[in-house]
Amino acid sequence: MISGARELRAYQDEPPQLPSGSFGKNAYLRLGFEPGAHRTVLRTLHRRAPLIVQQALYWDEEMPGLPCVSIISNAGGILQGDRNVIEIDLQADAQAHVTTQSATRIQEMDANYASQTQLLTLGPGSYLEYIPRPIIPHRNSRFIQTTKIDIDPTATLIYSEIMMPGRKYYRDGEIFEYELFSSTVTAGRPSGESLFTEKFVLRPKLDRLHALGAMGDFHVFGNVVVVTPKANADQLFEANTPVFDRENGIAHGVSRLPHDAGLVFKVLAMESAPVMETIRAFWSEVRQVVVGPRVPDNFLWA
Amino acid sequence: MAMSTTMTTTMGIERPSGRTLPELLYLLQFGDSALPVGGFSFSNGLESAIQEGLVDGPATLRAYTETSMWQAATGDGVAVICAHRAAQAGDIDALKHIDRLVFERKLNEETRLMTVRMGRKLCELSSVIIADGATRDWFERIKSGDTPGTHPVSLAITLAALGANRQDAFGVHQYGVATAVLSAALRLMRISFVDTQKILLDVTAQVAPAYARVTDATIDEMASFAPMIDILAAVHVKGHVRMFMN
Repeated sequence: MISGARELRAYQDEPPQLPSGSFGKNAYLRLGFEPGAHRTVLRTLHRRAPLIVQQALYWDEEMPGLPCVSIISNAGGILQGDRNVIEIDLQADAQAHVTTQSATRIQEMDANYASQTQLLTLGPGSYLEYIPRPIIPHRNSRFIQTTKIDIDPTATLIYSEIMMPGRKYYRDGEIFEYELFSSTVTAGRPSGESLFTEKFVLRPKLDRLHALGAMGDFHVFGNVVVVTPKANADQLFEANTPVFDRENGIAHGVSRLPHDAGLVFKVLAMESAPVMETIRAFWSEVRQVVVGPRVPDNFLWA
Repeated sequence: MAMSTTMTTTMGIERPSGRTLPELLYLLQFGDSALPVGGFSFSNGLESAIQEGLVDGPATLRAYTETSMWQAATGDGVAVICAHRAAQAGDIDALKHIDRLVFERKLNEETRLMTVRMGRKLCELSSVIIADGATRDWFERIKSGDTPGTHPVSLAITLAALGANRQDAFGVHQYGVATAVLSAALRLMRISFVDTQKILLDVTAQVAPAYARVTDATIDEMASFAPMIDILAAVHVKGHVRMFMN
């Protein structure tokens, strides 16, 4: 249970606004994708504001049968007391792309915390790209996210997280002024066999995130998990060249996950744009190895 | 300084340390970086950090050592504490659970190889030289593939067999992380023994507050955050010129 996490003990006071987890603060999304006659369809759509999904669009010119879903929030971000749940379920051989409409802002907090639970379930042969836009934890925010991946050995998931240091250009600049950012990603097989766990608990006011070896001088962190059959992972690993370019302020590298589960790709840079660009290039490699087509160029307005 | 003051004011009467002499010497033996378990062949990403110019002298080496120790404290250090508790209770299922969780949180091949190689060698050594039931049983399980055999679990079982308490086990582990980084630095960069020993003395002072932070942590609370070291490890795995293993 997220609510029992030790890092939340200091944040159990109720917000003076709506009670935590009450109506309007318990957003829920369930997206169920199934193969249709010619293309995958979004068969199941349950939504409870403030998270909203309208319908699947087919905007990807390289994969015209790929349902693309944009998650929208009508709350202007994540607020204290929010308890979001997002479930994405792909049946056998379904394919889907899920993103967010804009950056996710974790708003300033003076009481309680916000949580988000994500459950990603991938059936045999399915393929999911879950590439949300960056997360911006504002000053004094407290956020905990748990992502559980249940994936068939023949399926592929590419899931990315981009973490900003805060509102970098707001007033004097907010660099690591949030109180808590806790993230746990665990993956396992439908048989119950566990694959890997990545957990970090960031408390910039207690621990120096700028320490050499942690963020160092970098501001933006991108983390991409690719769970895929070993042959794909081998091919992607061989093709990837790690970079540590201090002059241009970017570093990235790929590593193999335990139990031949796939790869993890980490990116550090000063701004979100180079991180997103680097992740897009890697995502395109993943798509080409796993499905065939490349990822189209970014929209001009994106 | 505090120690010498105590000694003079008590006119040579010693304060009991709460630890017998053999117990102290066991800790020295198993905390020694010369213990032949293979720790000297791994640099924890330091080799790449030096090649990239991130670590270039005493100040940056100290920072790198501190980060490595902090990551170890909140990650493997929690495993040492939990595994020590399980070893004392003789709870093999809990030890296997902890061992698997530690392995599954090593997200690059270098740290995975390092933890299982050192864990296996340490357990092999202790199963022969301590020769008690617990270390022998655990080594059989590692050999048969019943459990991955990560280093923090082997260390906890070994030190529990020697009667060391949890705090001491955590301390030995932290000391091992610091000396591994610093002894690699002596072979990889221009730095003096005096500098590395000064850093070691400084960073070991931070082990007690680190222990206080994690002393009652459960195994699911293991966490670490070192994206820069992770990327340096990826650079190291693909590196063509290197002295240390991956």
